Amino acid sequence: MKLGILFSGGKDSYLALQYASEENEISCLLTLESKKEDSWMFHTPAIEWTKLQAEAMGLNHLTKETSGIKEEELGDLKSIIESAVSKHSIEGIVTGALASVYQSTRIQKICNELNLWCFNPLWQMPQNVLLQELISNNIESIITGVAAEPFDASWLGRPIDSNCIDNLLTLESSHRINPAGEGGEIESFVINAPLFTKSISVTKSQKYYSNFSGRLEIQEAFLQ
Amino acid sequence: MSILLVSTCDNKLSEREFTNPISRIIGDNHETLHYTQCTSDNISQFDKIIICGTSLKDTSYIKNFDNFRKLFYDFEGSILGICSGMHIVCSIFGSKIVGNREIGMFEVEVLNKNPLCEKSFQAYNIHNYSVKDLENFTVLAKTDTTPQIVKHNSKDVFGISFHPEVRNENILLNYLLI
Repeated sequence: MKLGILFSGGKDSYLALQYASEENEISCLLTLESKKEDSWMFHTPAIEWTKLQAEAMGLNHLTKETSGIKEEELGDLKSIIESAVSKHSIEGIVTGALASVYQSTRIQKICNELNLWCFNPLWQMPQNVLLQELISNNIESIITGVAAEPFDASWLGRPIDSNCIDNLLTLESSHRINPAGEGGEIESFVINAPLFTKSISVTKSQKYYSNFSGRLEIQEAFLQ
Repeated sequence: MSILLVSTCDNKLSEREFTNPISRIIGDNHETLHYTQCTSDNISQFDKIIICGTSLKDTSYIKNFDNFRKLFYDFEGSILGICSGMHIVCSIFGSKIVGNREIGMFEVEVLNKNPLCEKSFQAYNIHNYSVKDLENFTVLAKTDTTPQIVKHNSKDVFGISFHPEVRNENILLNYLLI
């Protein structure tokens, strides 16, 4: 089946993409670039660098800017999916939705209206299992955003490796965070993975951080 | 107790969404088979069968109602059908499916005392069909428009229209205790 991936560049949408690629054809990535940092639907940090990820995977990439206003985003989402149908003849959409009924319900309705299949391969996956899947599938990602106590600026840019996962699971116990960031506690950006033909090297970045909230702005990156 | 999970997914990718979450909730003591792998012989070794749901656009199971009837009608253990699984178990015992789209969280009212749930609750529905002609079943719970939990009048056969693996795991755990 020819599929389009709702792709934010983070660990969840990449893992969903990798699962989908096992027995389906990935026709394109679809990325909505939200003007609002606290979008209801779409992950935002480092979103402009998804073009480099698409290049690393040799995949078609459709992008569209969205207002980030709660329900207006859905019209933009429907519009980019319609473009993917007309340009790449996709038959279904894949998302990295994990537990958000808000997200999944709205995407399911749009796919249903457009007569498309909708796949959510991470749906209801426990967050510790998801984090372990990153390690066992050799998916390398870095933290590009934090938004919860007790995260400090040192977390920005940190690779999500076994040590990082151990620390996140400890914070789950001590501070009741969602260890995979399902509540927005962390955002991520994939820099290397099995479907990448080249890895991404981040050569210049800037941290913005205040009061347990921060983001890593990637300023220069290239494929190597 | 041995449990068989039956996948009704036409595309294997959907099993990650509709079968795997149930597998995680019920624990280790089960096997999973796609319905095309089931035979009267290999299902007879199990005490309970849970027939899982599938994607909104997946209607392949509807073309196989006759095969499901041959396969499951004489099964002597208990069966729980979820979403498409409910359509299957109800069709086996004479009910019909009708178009009825529900996507999202819906309030479910409990009508009759039953071993699966006690009080009204919110449930995640994602389906394009429901069931009618439920003469052989008792409706245990419903939304304003749709039967949500049914039980066969003389067999341990249940149907659930919503997805208990989302926010209602206790209903699956209660089923294991029956």
